[in-house]
Amino acid sequence: MLFSVLIYGSEDFYDALSPEEHQEILKKHGAFHERTKSDRSFAAATKLMSTGTAVTVNRESNDFIVTDGPFAETKEQFMGFYLIDTATLEDAIEAVKELPFENGRVEIRPVAYFEGADFQNAERLVIDAS
Amino acid sequence: MPSAWLSTHLRAARPRVLAALNRAFGDIDLAEDAFQEASLKAVRTWHPEDLPKDPVAWLIVTGRNSAIDALRKRRRETLSAPEDLELAHEETNPEEDLTDALDRSVYRDDILRLLFTCCHPVLRRDQQIALALKVVAGLTVEEIARAFLVQPKTMEQRITRAKKRLHAAKLSYEEPDAAERADRLSTVANAIYLVFNEGYSASQGIALIKEPLCEEAIRLARLLVRLFPEIPELRGLLALCLIQHSRRFARLTADGQAVTLEMQDRSLWDRKLVAEGTVLLEAALRNARPGHLQIEAAIAATHARAACYDQTDWQEIERLYRALQHIRPSPVVALNHTVVLAKLHGPKFALERLDRLQTSLERYAGFFAVKGSLLMDLDRTQDAYDALKRAFDLAGTDAERLHIEQKLHKLSKDT
Repeated sequence: MLFSVLIYGSEDFYDALSPEEHQEILKKHGAFHERTKSDRSFAAATKLMSTGTAVTVNRESNDFIVTDGPFAETKEQFMGFYLIDTATLEDAIEAVKELPFENGRVEIRPVAYFEGADFQNAERLVIDAS
Repeated sequence: MPSAWLSTHLRAARPRVLAALNRAFGDIDLAEDAFQEASLKAVRTWHPEDLPKDPVAWLIVTGRNSAIDALRKRRRETLSAPEDLELAHEETNPEEDLTDALDRSVYRDDILRLLFTCCHPVLRRDQQIALALKVVAGLTVEEIARAFLVQPKTMEQRITRAKKRLHAAKLSYEEPDAAERADRLSTVANAIYLVFNEGYSASQGIALIKEPLCEEAIRLARLLVRLFPEIPELRGLLALCLIQHSRRFARLTADGQAVTLEMQDRSLWDRKLVAEGTVLLEAALRNARPGHLQIEAAIAATHARAACYDQTDWQEIERLYRALQHIRPSPVVALNHTVVLAKLHGPKFALERLDRLQTSLERYAGFFAVKGSLLMDLDRTQDAYDALKRAFDLAGTDAERLHIEQKLHKLSKDT
């Protein structure tokens, strides 16, 4: 089953990291990449820019309202996500233990439908959970 | 010795905790001491594998208790001076439920108040920078002294004097209204840009020592953008810092010589920072409330878009300089505008515009350096030589002198 691995952390903390600590965090992500790619469970990795770059689009009756900033103001921010394809939830839980936890937590949520495109080559990949 | 992650948590929490303590007690010194006490307690009691759920709240509560203890102690020791015990603003009860203080809107105003206090207009620029780095970013006096190339003792005195001046100014701590808040934000944004520039405009050789100033300025700008996403000028500030910072590896040669924008190897520019800066700027400009930082960021972004110097969109940059001159007129902006006009309309046109600026810039090396270059382009060798000589005599830094020397050298070679 395809699982999303949603990474939450504090941007205050992220900004305060020293270059060495930053490297250490990247190393753990690197290990996660390596492991999930070697057992062929890796599907996608997405790192988001800071919430400071976000805008939120809303519709009020017939007007679209674009406000600056993320949708929700939270103590921990949504930083990025992986998609991994593992046989069971248990395997997914096992896999994420490789990720850095110094800066927050990881939410695992099964994917109901996934469609991806290699937009360079215009090939499409569809995974439907049903 | 605290574990690395623990000290990073403390560093990350510092601005918010200190801002809350400063609000509760209206005294930066007391707030700093209280934060220090709370940090020591955290180092003793936090387990690296089991941190408090909300380190910021934990530190605020612990710091507040420690400050109340300190005040009680002071009360016993200085019975003759009871006015010392009054909190700076009566409406605040330090015993109040701290959950209020964790509310986001309060954080916003707390941090703004703390930064505005540190960057207050009663302070000199160098005092503003030093205080923001010490109090908000939490750099040590030694670290700041190193970045400013002064003795720690000198820096200590500068900070002490700044705090005294703030104390003497008896700042009011009333809640700002919308207009006042906008004013304060703009003061703070400008001060953070000063911090960045102090690091960025460092002359050759010491640029590496000064880099932490750029990093801290970016960290503060990121915090402000997070707290006030609706203020476009703050996004402009962050965009400007990020795009400038993207050139840090291209600005110096291996032996520490400054490289002009024209000569920089653009493959060394940090494209991630450029991308983030560019999208921040786009989001900011959608609001159609441009400030000078947004426009300066737009100029930087236009340079970043050009694959090489020859492909620079000088027309766009000229428009932006005109806008900048309209929003925030200054002789130096006018001078830079002239440089761009030379790219578009040739040296003769630019020189005529330049001569009008002479009275306001006659002590400014940059003016004569530009004038010298334009005269060189017009083959007026002797006049060019005189102007460059004048620029050399007025130059304030080694980097500037070196730059002018290279031009003088070129001049003597060409003739």
